[in-house]
Amino acid sequence: MSAAPRPRLAALAIAVGLVLADSSIVVLALPQIYRELDTSVAGVTWVLVSFNLVMALVAVPAAHLARRIGPGRAAAIGLAVFAGAGIACGLAEHLSTLIAARCVQALGGAMAVTAVLELLPATVGSERRAVAVWATAGATGAALGPAVGGLLTELVSWQSIFLVQAPIAIAAAIPVLAVARHEASTAIVSAELRRTGRPHLLANAALALVSAAIAAALFLLVLLLIEGWRLSPIGAAVVVSAMPLAALLGARIGPRAGSERARAAAGAILVTGGLGGLALLPKANVALTLPPQILVGLGLALVLSALTETALIGRAPQAIHGGWTISARHAGVAIGLIALTPVFTADIANQRHDAIDAGTAIVLDARVDPLLKLQLAQRIEDRLEGERGKVPTIGSAFEPLPSDPGDRADVIRLREELQDQLDRAATHAFSPSFGLGALLGLLALIPIGLARRVDL
Amino acid sequence: MSSRGRGGALVAVAIVASLALILSYLAAGGASYEPAKVQDPCKPRPWHEPEGLEQLAEQFSLSALDGAACKLGVSRETLARALATPASRDRFARRYGLSEAEIARAVRAGLLRAVDDAERAGALNPLLAAPLRATLRRIPIDQAIELIQNAESLLNSFQSFLGPAGGLIEQFLP
Repeated sequence: MSAAPRPRLAALAIAVGLVLADSSIVVLALPQIYRELDTSVAGVTWVLVSFNLVMALVAVPAAHLARRIGPGRAAAIGLAVFAGAGIACGLAEHLSTLIAARCVQALGGAMAVTAVLELLPATVGSERRAVAVWATAGATGAALGPAVGGLLTELVSWQSIFLVQAPIAIAAAIPVLAVARHEASTAIVSAELRRTGRPHLLANAALALVSAAIAAALFLLVLLLIEGWRLSPIGAAVVVSAMPLAALLGARIGPRAGSERARAAAGAILVTGGLGGLALLPKANVALTLPPQILVGLGLALVLSALTETALIGRAPQAIHGGWTISARHAGVAIGLIALTPVFTADIANQRHDAIDAGTAIVLDARVDPLLKLQLAQRIEDRLEGERGKVPTIGSAFEPLPSDPGDRADVIRLREELQDQLDRAATHAFSPSFGLGALLGLLALIPIGLARRVDL
Repeated sequence: MSSRGRGGALVAVAIVASLALILSYLAAGGASYEPAKVQDPCKPRPWHEPEGLEQLAEQFSLSALDGAACKLGVSRETLARALATPASRDRFARRYGLSEAEIARAVRAGLLRAVDDAERAGALNPLLAAPLRATLRRIPIDQAIELIQNAESLLNSFQSFLGPAGGLIEQFLP
């Protein structure tokens, strides 16, 4: 590779990773956005859904546009739109403004990502390598997104997630501009290309299903950690970083581990197993989320790259087929979020009710002074009314603790028993949604299995 | 190893790892990690040997709460929270479409059940139980409503309920 394409390759990989990270980067910021913009869980989910839905809808048309105006120009324009919309996201004071800016961000992102796929073969010298770079950059970005977003949310603010992206997108656009200036002379290596026209339906269907499952894992785990177990965004970011670390390991072992179909099947099984583990957490303990996360992380690296390669290699034009994979992935994420949100919001409400009943039973049957019991009941009732629709926090209802050592010990025991019930409720509330996510991962095995017999 | 062999091994490892995780979490109680289920208020609860009027009153209150909740078709816990403050009582009435009279009737039925439970447990002398029942049956509905409305809290409510008969109870404690 000559010296000139190196910065360009880095810029192209960063552009893909940056845009695809946006599919999940706000996951850890959602609770803060939820509180600051005074919305509902279902409402804030649209900050994620809108981006993924628009990406799914415009990826293929954007790829056609990129081919028409030239991939260099399309990538530069796409990155500029992505950066501008990112600034608008960071300055948004209302949920509707934020969602609108996210839609525009997805328009720019779709154009940039599909155009980059058209530019990569000329940069790296082969279509197969171009696809591998593109798929790895995308999977890495999507996996790293939540942890980076969580760190920025905790250290700066949720707005910084979007504002930081703007200069990175602009920096990535600079080497691309050089290509745009010589657009007419851009040569795509065509020796490996075979015109098939139609997208690989089975690989794209599997991508959609497995992306929905992965979105469920990321989104639900973050909500469980922050809203259910009351971790700070930075604490949750540290915990969920297990998933991208495992994904990086999976990306290293993946290419040597077998055929694309075997890697896709193994990846889908691991994602299913990890989500199954999250659905069956035996205690509210962050350490217990690590083994499932490792399985999901390894699985997503294997399955996303294998299915993307299956859908792209040997098919032309690359940008169009890349557009189909982007469309399938983001449609899967959007559909997964849209389908799971009502399930887990209803489950949170039900579990909240069960937890409150279980907690009240503990207070009623507790061996503490009746008048103290009465005061506690009233304070807990006040907390519950103040946190409608959420799993409540009740710790402060026990402050100040009684001065009598006996009463103090009784009250501390009571507080621990109540907290245990709330932890159980929060964890159990997410189980059906994680289970549904696991089912989606399992369903992905059907198109992966069929792909052997039917070459669409 | 051939590519096919490596692929087969990879899939086998994925299946084993996934099953190992799921089975170990199931064995550790993952399927039953959920909030404790509350008891059906229509089923009797065991009475503990009371040590003085305060404990008798508390158990009597809880038993009455069970009886009232059973009558209204809600859990004892839901009703306890509903009676905590006037505002929570209003919310409860709206949520379940109940009138104050219906709540008052249910509370009276609960008090009668508490007398039955206390008598059955040997915590209340039968000589006291009969007049206490008669007293509770005669409490007019509007007084029951007033009693609920004026109650500062669940416990105060039941202490108030016990008010007219409180002296008698103390004399007839086993």
